[in-house]
Amino acid sequence: MGRILPARLAQIAATLAILSFCAFALIALMPGDPIEVAIAGDPRLTSEDAARMRALHGLDRPFHERYLAWASGLLRGDFGYSRLFAQPVAALLGPALLSTLALAGTALLVALTLGVALGALAASRPRAAPAVDAIAVMGQAMPTFWLGILLIIAFAVTLGWLPAGGAAEAGAGLRYLVLPVATLAIAHLAAYARHSAASLEATLTEPWIRTARARGAPERIVLFRHAFPNAALPVLQIAALDAGALAGGALVTETVFARPGMGKLLYDAVMGNDTNLALVALLLVALTTMLATLGADLAQRALDPRLRER
Amino acid sequence: MRLGAAALLLALAAPAAAQPRDSLTIGITQYPSTFHPNIENMAAKSYVLGFARRPLTAYGADWRLACLTCETLPSLENGGAERETTPDGKAGIRVTFRLREGLRWGDGTPVSAEDLRFAWEAGREAATGFGPAEFYRSAYELIVVDPRTVTLRFDRVTFEYASMGDFQPLPAHVERARWQADPRAYRTRTAYDTETTNPALWNGPWRITGVQPGASVTLERNEAWTGAAPAFRRIVIRTVENTPALEAQLLAGQVDMIAGELGLPIEQAIALERRAGNRFRFTYQPGLIYEHLDLRHDHVALGDRRVRQALLMATDRATITERLFGGRQPVAHTSVNPLDPMHDPDVRRWPFDLARARALLDEAGWTPGPDGIRRNAAGERLSLEFMTTAGNRAREQVQQVLQGMWRQAGIEARIRNEPPRVFFAETLSRRRFQGLALFAWISAPESVPRSALHSDEIPREERNWSGQNYGGFRNAEVDALTHGIPEELDRERRRAMWRRLQAIYAEELPAIPLWFRADAHVWPQWLDGVRPTGHLNASPLWAEEWRVR
Amino acid sequence: MSRLALGLALLGALALAAIAAPFAADALGHDPFAPDLLARFEPPSARHPLGTDDLGRDILLRLLFGARVSLAVGLAAALAATVIGTAAGLLAAWRGGVTDAIVMRLADFMLALPALPLLVLLAAADPSRIGLPARGEPAGDVLRIVVILAVFGWVGVARLARAAALATLSRDHVRAARALGAGEARILARHVLPALVPPIAVATALAVAGAILAESTLSFLGLGISPPAPSWGNMLANAQDLVFSAPWAAMWPGLTIMATVAGCTLVADGVRRRGRAR
Repeated sequence: MGRILPARLAQIAATLAILSFCAFALIALMPGDPIEVAIAGDPRLTSEDAARMRALHGLDRPFHERYLAWASGLLRGDFGYSRLFAQPVAALLGPALLSTLALAGTALLVALTLGVALGALAASRPRAAPAVDAIAVMGQAMPTFWLGILLIIAFAVTLGWLPAGGAAEAGAGLRYLVLPVATLAIAHLAAYARHSAASLEATLTEPWIRTARARGAPERIVLFRHAFPNAALPVLQIAALDAGALAGGALVTETVFARPGMGKLLYDAVMGNDTNLALVALLLVALTTMLATLGADLAQRALDPRLRER
Repeated sequence: MRLGAAALLLALAAPAAAQPRDSLTIGITQYPSTFHPNIENMAAKSYVLGFARRPLTAYGADWRLACLTCETLPSLENGGAERETTPDGKAGIRVTFRLREGLRWGDGTPVSAEDLRFAWEAGREAATGFGPAEFYRSAYELIVVDPRTVTLRFDRVTFEYASMGDFQPLPAHVERARWQADPRAYRTRTAYDTETTNPALWNGPWRITGVQPGASVTLERNEAWTGAAPAFRRIVIRTVENTPALEAQLLAGQVDMIAGELGLPIEQAIALERRAGNRFRFTYQPGLIYEHLDLRHDHVALGDRRVRQALLMATDRATITERLFGGRQPVAHTSVNPLDPMHDPDVRRWPFDLARARALLDEAGWTPGPDGIRRNAAGERLSLEFMTTAGNRAREQVQQVLQGMWRQAGIEARIRNEPPRVFFAETLSRRRFQGLALFAWISAPESVPRSALHSDEIPREERNWSGQNYGGFRNAEVDALTHGIPEELDRERRRAMWRRLQAIYAEELPAIPLWFRADAHVWPQWLDGVRPTGHLNASPLWAEEWRVR
Repeated sequence: MSRLALGLALLGALALAAIAAPFAADALGHDPFAPDLLARFEPPSARHPLGTDDLGRDILLRLLFGARVSLAVGLAAALAATVIGTAAGLLAAWRGGVTDAIVMRLADFMLALPALPLLVLLAAADPSRIGLPARGEPAGDVLRIVVILAVFGWVGVARLARAAALATLSRDHVRAARALGAGEARILARHVLPALVPPIAVATALAVAGAILAESTLSFLGLGISPPAPSWGNMLANAQDLVFSAPWAAMWPGLTIMATVAGCTLVADGVRRRGRAR
């Protein structure tokens, strides 16, 4: 492990550098720019105004110049200003990240725990399997939007127990989290349940499990001590992918519950050609993804002693 | 179970209703990206700032220009405006505005001529980055007459000389130093975005006291306001971008009203009214958003006036607005809204008449082919590419309905949609669309459609694609009219010119008029006095008149 | 009936319904593509067994025609992602070293690459200019959607395949086989691939629903199926604004997607268990 970590970190840094260039290029290449779109929405805005605004924001400068200016600023620790919101990028990202962490982090934890528990149930009690499958099928087939709106109708509009959306103005934030977390967790639960059930089932037929059983180990011990570490592989990988994806926010859940977060910010930044904001947010997402997958790989090695010898 | 829950809700709601209502929560679908009055124009900002700031002039609910922070509207008759010659010999005009007595910023500082001078200086400097700059280019001199009076000199005379648009006092005692330090960086340093809750920035009946980025803006009564006393101590404006979610928040009681300016799509509002008509009041205000079809005038079929007329007669607009929009969106006959003072009620109206449409197409040489689609002598099929903004449900609905209707007349429409940014900034403005484009123009009362109709405004590469005459319409008389109307100061003569412009429009059909979009305002039963305008000056500009029943 | 057979029967029935769509349209005697503004939101009747949608079109017929798009997109995108992902993951695990690093960092890169600007770029490109079918042609539309979804979808499968393959390659019986001189191809086919079946089968089944729903997201960028052609995804998305007044408009496509997912889950389970029984 001592050797693999530095190599992986170097690879991550290189990937980030290439990615930043590609993402910058993609955004620059995107056809149509929001200043032109603004003309269509404002009869008083003229093409001269648009040209002036582009020059003001430096959008008329060649691409490589803009990239170098941005990259050197970033290396000096200067994230720059968001063109769209006229705020320092760091000041915008901070609150969005916190909000996303609260929502997505909780949801991921809930989905992971509940999903694995359901998977273990399905694998160890075959009679419960169809019920778990049904839950998983519903979770996958239900689009997040519909799930969210149904929860709102049930718990906010009809019962009036929980707020229909928004973020807490001060304190009492937990009530605002319940429905969005539930929505997001249900959407992600299916994958954990299905994968953990499948790999537990597969592991439970392995020879060494049979040996453990033959030695008279209680079923609980067999399941959690022997089978689980092996079955955890796919779950770890999926969790790593989810962690990366959720760092980029949960756009649909955020929109349905009118919660500010990374998803909305990133979408607006990209669509608004706000390169400074979009790039930093994207790199942050990329970094989270890569660290999470690195974490999953390291965890796999820790769980599977034979891998260490390779 | 549901009944029980409803009863529980009622029981919970009852004590709240007994208290005097002094706060109002409004739901809108957009969050302002900046709070500076002159940087970036977006509907959400106009709406929010309507409560906290007042411009010099604005168009009222009657679509007439009125003073908000000035004393009287200057005119040639009352001497407030005078024609003159500019130093470089052009026809010019000088206009004098006197600020209303007792107008103060939230920190108690009087609003003064200096604040107007600062706004003018900042706008004149290109590096400041104010949005539309036409006004500042034309206003070449500002003279401070006395602490409450300024005279502006313009190098262009138009009938709108008294309309100041976005030009409005900016608090020089807060902002001037920030701007002078570096005009280029003013955009990121302005107190409007760095300390939005500073009372000195606001001169309206309320001032912004809390901002939750992306989620909500809180306003409290501005103690320095000397106008009519507002009814609400506190106003919260929540942003909910998803309209079903916004509706849910309304039904759950988290917002009291939904602003029509940035609210529910008309179809959703009509459906809500059907179900909850007794809980809320609904008002539909037709506005200046003109939905139409732009078309390529150099297209082999669309270049023929008869084909355009046939296309319009094959379109049953009355049924569409009746069925899709509950009859709330008035059918357009030209680009001039029926509520506009310059609208001509006698302009030619094309009925839905399939037989005449077919006859006109026959006459134009497009005869039915074996697959039901018409062909011309050269054997080309009458098949039109039909584009609009992808993801806009109302437009995609209309698009499919039109496609079905035109098929009856032997016209094929091939749908191809693009995301708005590509559609507007590339396909339309670079004239890359091949046939028809469905979109809307937003205009202002009495706004002359020069940029959409004048032949100089056809976007061309040499002119850096400026102009909005995307279809390539050319008509010498329209060129003369769109140039002449703004410079005609006599109202009646101007009306005659407008009448002529509408007559040509209805006959030549530079674009196929569909309808004017309407705003759906949803108010609680207890709210009174909101006057929807239907144009860019949103209703909060008169919010001190809003009352609790 | 085994799970595999049950799942295949379910998917087969859906596919059959998709194929039968034009005959159903003939039998009912109306056009599911032509709007009828006088017949909006009609309740179920003999003429319209499932009622009509927001433009007065028959929901049953649109479901059947939509099945062609959605089943094709869902199954093809999921299978394409599986094949690419399994190959990439297996290659990375088997070769190790530099190959592993390159393939897996490419995977990370694809995960982190912002899809949105890329899709906007695609939306503005005119495919007919480079000889591909123009937008609006159903076959071209489906192919484009499948390619987009597969390009972004293979990464998850690759990570799963690599993890499982690594674990298997270090097992004693694989080492023993190697020591006995078994060829690499034989080791991969006989020992490694079977171990990949459980996670990969599950991942493929999970991807189907994702792809069907993702198609409607693409239509927001003009990259989905062009109207008036229906798909389950865009039928669901269209029903969103009217969630309160016409919730049933979303129920039918929701149910068909659920049936598809259930079918895929059953097939995946069947394949998984067969692999183990061997």
